[in-house]
Amino acid sequence: MGLEASSSPSSLKPYAADDTCPMGTGGATKPEARFAILTRFHAGYFRISLALSGQALLWRTLSDSSTDPRPLARSLPSAAFLLLWSLALLALLALCALYAARCLLRFPAVRAEFRHHVAMNYLFAPWISWLLLLQSTPFLRPDAPLYHLLWWAFSLPILVLDVKIYGQWFTRGRKFLSMVANPASHITIIGNLVTARAAAKMGWHEAAVAIFSVGAAHYLVLFVTLYQRFLGSDSLPAMLRPVFFLFFAAPSMASLAWDAISSSFDTGCKMLFFLSLFLFASLVSRPTLFKRAMRRFSVAWWAYSFPLTVLALAAAEYAREVREAAANVLMLALAVLSVAVTLALMVFTALRTGDLLPHDDPFDCPLLAPPLVR
Amino acid sequence: MHLACLYGVYIFSLDESRRANTSIGPFASFHPLFRWCWVPKLAAATAVGFFSSGFSLLLFPQPADHFQLEATGEAKGFLNIGMEFSSKDIQMAGLHSEQSAREALPAFLIQVPSQTIAGFDCVGGDANVSLNEADNESGTTTGNQDIVISIPAPASAPRSALPGRAYDDAHIPYSISLSMPASPSGLHLSQFRTSAVQRDEARVTPAVAEFDVHPVEEQVEVHSPRLLKQTRFHSQPILLHGSKNVDEARRCDSTRDKRFDPFKTFSGRLERQLSNLRGRPQEPIDAVSPESKISEEETDQVPGADRYFDALEGPELDTLRATEVPVLPKDDKWPFLLRFPISAFGMCLGVSSQAILWKTLASAPPTAFLHVSLVVNHVLWYVALALMVLVSSIYLLKVVFYFEAVRREFYHPIRANFFFAPWIACLFLVLGAPRQETEMHHGVWYALMAPIFCLELKIYGQWMSGGQRRLSKVANPSNHLSIVGNFVVALLGAKMGLREGPIFFFAVGLAHYMVLFVTLYQRLPTNVTLPKELHPVFFLFVAAPSVASMAWAKINGHFDTGARIAYFIALFLYMSLAVRINFFRGFRFSLAWWAYTFPMTGASIATITYATEVNNVLTRTLSIGLSGIATVTVAGLLVTTVFHAFVLRDLFPNDVSIAITRRKPKFSKILAHFRSSSSDMKELVFSLSKPSQSESGETDPSVICARAEP
Repeated sequence: MGLEASSSPSSLKPYAADDTCPMGTGGATKPEARFAILTRFHAGYFRISLALSGQALLWRTLSDSSTDPRPLARSLPSAAFLLLWSLALLALLALCALYAARCLLRFPAVRAEFRHHVAMNYLFAPWISWLLLLQSTPFLRPDAPLYHLLWWAFSLPILVLDVKIYGQWFTRGRKFLSMVANPASHITIIGNLVTARAAAKMGWHEAAVAIFSVGAAHYLVLFVTLYQRFLGSDSLPAMLRPVFFLFFAAPSMASLAWDAISSSFDTGCKMLFFLSLFLFASLVSRPTLFKRAMRRFSVAWWAYSFPLTVLALAAAEYAREVREAAANVLMLALAVLSVAVTLALMVFTALRTGDLLPHDDPFDCPLLAPPLVR
Repeated sequence: MHLACLYGVYIFSLDESRRANTSIGPFASFHPLFRWCWVPKLAAATAVGFFSSGFSLLLFPQPADHFQLEATGEAKGFLNIGMEFSSKDIQMAGLHSEQSAREALPAFLIQVPSQTIAGFDCVGGDANVSLNEADNESGTTTGNQDIVISIPAPASAPRSALPGRAYDDAHIPYSISLSMPASPSGLHLSQFRTSAVQRDEARVTPAVAEFDVHPVEEQVEVHSPRLLKQTRFHSQPILLHGSKNVDEARRCDSTRDKRFDPFKTFSGRLERQLSNLRGRPQEPIDAVSPESKISEEETDQVPGADRYFDALEGPELDTLRATEVPVLPKDDKWPFLLRFPISAFGMCLGVSSQAILWKTLASAPPTAFLHVSLVVNHVLWYVALALMVLVSSIYLLKVVFYFEAVRREFYHPIRANFFFAPWIACLFLVLGAPRQETEMHHGVWYALMAPIFCLELKIYGQWMSGGQRRLSKVANPSNHLSIVGNFVVALLGAKMGLREGPIFFFAVGLAHYMVLFVTLYQRLPTNVTLPKELHPVFFLFVAAPSVASMAWAKINGHFDTGARIAYFIALFLYMSLAVRINFFRGFRFSLAWWAYTFPMTGASIATITYATEVNNVLTRTLSIGLSGIATVTVAGLLVTTVFHAFVLRDLFPNDVSIAITRRKPKFSKILAHFRSSSSDMKELVFSLSKPSQSESGETDPSVICARAEP
């Protein structure tokens, strides 16, 4: 677990694990043992809900026969989509409940999480999941008032977090972007873009453009910073390498959002989609990067699923626009890949429930740096 | 060995050759001077026949009856004999120190006469040992890279007068071993033939495993007509009987120039590695001189990126720091191929972009009043084509014979970008071709796009995934070469009428261009290689936006706002470079400068494209002016190149940037180097004065700290 702390100089990280993980000390008292799951639970688990709701949106898009009467659309049983959607909803509800309990009972840990440069980004994840679920919901039409209400409910936290975190990037001394930037920071951008897409779907063009432009500007900065790879931004532990996949989730999401805003998959969308395709190829062609993360199952594996799903979504939109055989094949391949990955992850999660909440999560421990209330 | 695989190089299953009675035909009658390159793993592969003089034929005594040279490809593999590339080896042989009188002769001709024959047996260690267990005791000191050809001698051969032998003859009663350098096998073949005629009764003694001493009649069979062709060379070596020259022979063996062996693709090391792979651990008794051992260690792995920054200096990282000791001899001239850098493809870039420029000048409406003839374009294009063929064939030779050097170039933080140059030059050739782009087959685009795409996956992946070659460390203006390829691909694809492919490359190029642009402008303290003063390399800044503007204009169908934005960025960068240019300010000329001319040409072509859209006096003046500047620059560079090539004769200086050691040399080694070097005093003084200079201005201390080894 000291993996992260030992692999890079602690001075480079905003919150390095100075003290040992409380869970390892064995000094846990009875009530702590009862809520041990809360101690070990963290926002990173929202990767699961993110992946599932992304899948739900993908199935919704694929089976959306209103615009594109393709054979694939009709072959997807709607019951399966409903099942998937409810599964995603259930998972998200469960995770949210757990996290709310954690907020109540382990508030210092949550605060530490908020200050951690990796974990902080995952605070966006529940809201993104909610927005994705909202967009894929079979029960509401985008112009329903409830939809608007829910959009406000889910996008406000994202906007507030944006203001907080983007402000930190260029004002707070210890949280300069060059220090805190890591691939997980893409989630903040994705939050913006998802919000913009949902707004565009509702027909709020100006709001969508405004949110999109904020996201795009910060994405530019983040992309450059991440590509430069300063020493400070190298602080992602090897266990979390799957998060690298978010590199291509952001441009895909941007292309989806711009597609919704401009209501056609134009050259800009294509460029963003192609960029994410290239980044995907670039990541896939270096499997050694992920070798250390693949040794043991952990919740970080779930980070593979969501980017693939978003890429498949963008590919679906692209195929809808281009209508070529190659585009369709690409879309099918990516969709099958993302579904397969998600299924495999679900199977792994079911089989290895023990590994899901490890005692030595490298991601977890720094969050507990402040002593727990006894 | 994987190098060999890479290049389809051949492949001979030794196992099979041993078990089956495959070997050399009339081998007993002369010294077969082939070296046989075999790659067991690929024995079944349908590799392409590859002719090269570097291939060696390994012969060894066999328990077999007949030894036949399988010169035609059979199930066992192919023996590839090449005569084409002998010049290199001759040159290398010429590097031999003492025997200047014989320099004109190929290496084996130098050696062979001295090897007076019959039972002589100057066994070299390595390859022979790895193959013949019986040769274990051979303790002579031939270099580790020697390929040893051991030939069973006639049973009646006098095994006289080798008093100083360190090995036991009883083990290898009748074997003759020759250790030869890589030398033109064609010449060997001629020997093979002449001697075969004379000694068709040669006897073979199977020596190795069973120590079966029954001589076997040997069947002289030459399968390949090629073997018979070359009879001009009358080297009689093996036919000489007598032992008087044995000592000399040994000396010759040891004086063979082994200093460049670590960089050779086909040297003894390869064969030994192969035998290791085949599960036959080589004997540790290789009599290897300590120096060559060291050099072998050092070339086993490519130096890390840090080492390149530590050991080299200069804006192109092409000068060795004074505290460094090169792997290769510093004072001598290296073989030509080793001195031939990848940046030579810059010439192709420069000339082929000129061809495009003149094509545009001749065909674009705003410059129609100039009445430029298309002939200029044709001439330039054919010159560019010839240059491309020449440069790429030479470089291909380097890939084949000095793969290690190529590998080191590929890991050189700046040279790596030049690996895009050949493909970009090919794209330029297609763009500048006398035909219309729309008439061309789309396959051309796909064929040229694929290597660029693969290189990008490699290079951009290195930037992104961190490690030693993260962008914050290697960022350099020459990285533009790896960006601009995207836009050229997009431009060509759009001109051909493709739609999605160009957008793909444009998107990838744009994203990475932004990253690179910001990084270069930031001048991070971790960027060691950014030149402090203005250097021609900065003109690469102009390349990407100007080509991007043309590509975007082609993708969108007209020169729209996006294209104009890119074009004006290029124009601004061009101007800001032009106002602070200081001509002839003490930069060492290098071939890479050619690569820096194509941005100017690109800017002028973009200007002409812009003038097509906005046609007024200003734009026309601008386009003519910029074209003139580009042409004059290229002409000036041509003159300089010719001057350096034929007057100063230093166009291809020793390419030290590939010869750095893998680890920082110890101080004692540096001292030893200076002592041993011929011009020691001067060097020493030079080295003492140099560090103070470099400390004063060149290196940034923080950077050095950052580069400290983990």
